Amino acid sequence: MPILSTAVSGRRGSDMPEVVVSIGPHHPALKEPVNFKVVVDGEKIVRLELDLSYNHRGIEKAAEQRDFVRVLPLMERVCGICSHAHSTAFAKGIEEIMQLEIPPRAQYIRTIIAELERMHSHLLWLGVAAHLIGFNTLFMWTWRDREAVQDTVEEMSGNRVHYGMNEVGGVRRDLTPAQVTAALGRLPNLEERINKYVDMVNYEETMLIRFRGVGKLSKEEALRYGTVGPTARASGVDYDIRKDDPYLAYADAPWSVVTDTNGDVYGRTRVRIWEAQESLKIIRYCLENLPEGPIRVPAPKHAPKGEILSRYEAPRGELAHFIRTNGTDKVERVDIRTPTLANWTSVAMCLVNQNIADIPVIVAAIDPCLSCTSRITLLDKRTKRTDIISFDDLSRRMCSRDHGQE
Amino acid sequence: MAVPAAGLGQRLVNWARIKSPWITVFNSGACNACDIEIIACLMPRFDVERFGILVKGSPRHADILIVTGHVTLKQASRLRRVWEQIPEPKYVIAMGACGASGGVFHGLYHMMDCVDKVIPIDVYVAGCPPRPDEIINAIVTCLNLIKQDAAHGGKEWRQKKGVPVVDQIYDPAR
Amino acid sequence: MTESLTLDIVAGKMKEFGNAEQVRKNRIRITTPPDRVHEAIRMIQAIFGFDRLITISAVDNGRTLELVYHLTGPHRMVVSIAVELPRDQPAIPTTSDILPSAAIYERQIHDLFGIQFPGHPRLTKIILNEDWPQDEFPLRKDWEPHADTFYGGIRKERI
Repeated sequence: MPILSTAVSGRRGSDMPEVVVSIGPHHPALKEPVNFKVVVDGEKIVRLELDLSYNHRGIEKAAEQRDFVRVLPLMERVCGICSHAHSTAFAKGIEEIMQLEIPPRAQYIRTIIAELERMHSHLLWLGVAAHLIGFNTLFMWTWRDREAVQDTVEEMSGNRVHYGMNEVGGVRRDLTPAQVTAALGRLPNLEERINKYVDMVNYEETMLIRFRGVGKLSKEEALRYGTVGPTARASGVDYDIRKDDPYLAYADAPWSVVTDTNGDVYGRTRVRIWEAQESLKIIRYCLENLPEGPIRVPAPKHAPKGEILSRYEAPRGELAHFIRTNGTDKVERVDIRTPTLANWTSVAMCLVNQNIADIPVIVAAIDPCLSCTSRITLLDKRTKRTDIISFDDLSRRMCSRDHGQE
Repeated sequence: MAVPAAGLGQRLVNWARIKSPWITVFNSGACNACDIEIIACLMPRFDVERFGILVKGSPRHADILIVTGHVTLKQASRLRRVWEQIPEPKYVIAMGACGASGGVFHGLYHMMDCVDKVIPIDVYVAGCPPRPDEIINAIVTCLNLIKQDAAHGGKEWRQKKGVPVVDQIYDPAR
Repeated sequence: MTESLTLDIVAGKMKEFGNAEQVRKNRIRITTPPDRVHEAIRMIQAIFGFDRLITISAVDNGRTLELVYHLTGPHRMVVSIAVELPRDQPAIPTTSDILPSAAIYERQIHDLFGIQFPGHPRLTKIILNEDWPQDEFPLRKDWEPHADTFYGGIRKERI
């Protein structure tokens, strides 16, 4: 449990010695291995240093050795939460290089799965954020409601995560009328629960106190550091690939981009829960207006020489797959830039002058998908002594303004 | 081989261990789907806490270690260290296709050969990721193993003779 | 100003740096020599407002190493600036002074391809583990893992 160590690093031109607080890699609050070293001056954070090379699996190299059928399961398993995002971004990139026009029914099915994934991801995030501030009731509620989404995708695709719906040229499984009816039948209850969470986020005192004013990112900073996704939209930057560069069925469905002007963790919470409401609208529209027709077109085995930047709005932000093909049945290079990698710079900037006890909340507010990011490390080797204290001790110390370090 | 009958104290301890196993989870470089399914086990739908199963953060408090992911080079020595900190008798469940053979990540340049080259495994769960029901089934299988091991006086009865045990791997970081 | 008009204007202005062509509905690709990249990015930021870096991609095409900088802005067009670098001792000045988010991508490319970025504030290991040998770059096409090199993890010597 205790993976917090305070290490005294020595004086750096100020009266208070700098303390390096190390969090991770094995921490109960974080579901992924990550190690933060936070350089602290007194109680305020000076600098954030992250070490995330724990999850690097070498997927980009492996993708060069697998053909287009075998590479899609690999792409899906880049991340367990946004798996459909990676596989769709890759498949639509290859389809565009091959100049394939996939049938509208396949577009709609891909959109339905994509929006279901977005909803499950946002509900998951809301639960984890609530857990980090100690509000476990909301954690249990959101994950229980998330099970409705999981049941729907399980009926449609056969698995709760890693749906395996995509292939180059369309989707692999069709939706039967019974599945469509069952999915539509679950939506009203889900809508009611999400509306309740919208209310809760706006009026629940526990959340307001811990989220308001924490981790503020202004609009200029969000633009300058290249922030993407709900983190940027909470600061007023209306950057959403589904509207800027429409793909799949987003141009047909009636929905709107959600932005907020708060710029702090509270704003990001609101943006995510409102986006879940918009996702519901898109799912309902697509299910009710599912066009008839085939679900795939035959795709050639070899892709012509070409290059594409395939962008997709994953639940966490803009995902960019840069694909280059060389005329064979494998890619020459796929470069995956995940939204969490783009957001780390803004996290480092947000954390300056915040309190240590707010670190988990601020980091969680960008909804980090560390297995997508494949690690970032900045280590400051200035430690002279190490003390191990527990996370509870640290929070208590922070709250009572008594550090006891020297 | 005759095993002396366990005294009352030992039988009580065995009973407590089986009725309320505490678990710790270690992510050794996974895509996190398995971890999400483990957390889903704790949620009201599947709710393993009603069986007495608690997920603890510290390896020193655990009976069972669940390893997710295919071990990356960076995580190998850390996984070994976490395993060594668990007090005996300890049991390891390797989750998913990654734990069994590497899954889709088998043979990539930043991965160890397999999880069972780093620590000895007792139970494998199939799936990518395994459903929460299958995870609960794996824990129940592990509990049956604990019962059988307690009846035989240890784990030696199910280890193959003449095969080197993983404990003999040299770790330069120690 | 309609979108296609702006694309032509951008392409026309960027022709002084190299070959500029429209490759997709809203994307232009420019090939530039390495010493003019900084200037090109600064100009495109100042005049046309391309202030957001999407990513920096590196490709090994067998002969040379290529870097592609993808930029976008409020008008939602994408400009890709492509550079070719020689295989031995590839280096290009860092762009993290004009694009703060470039620092992370440059560190990752340095680890995986071995391209140097003089001027980068902190070019240390980011994505490979700490025991990885210094001169091996896994994503290059001519790299194969050597059987007797220690890449990290646990050494497997049975006692």
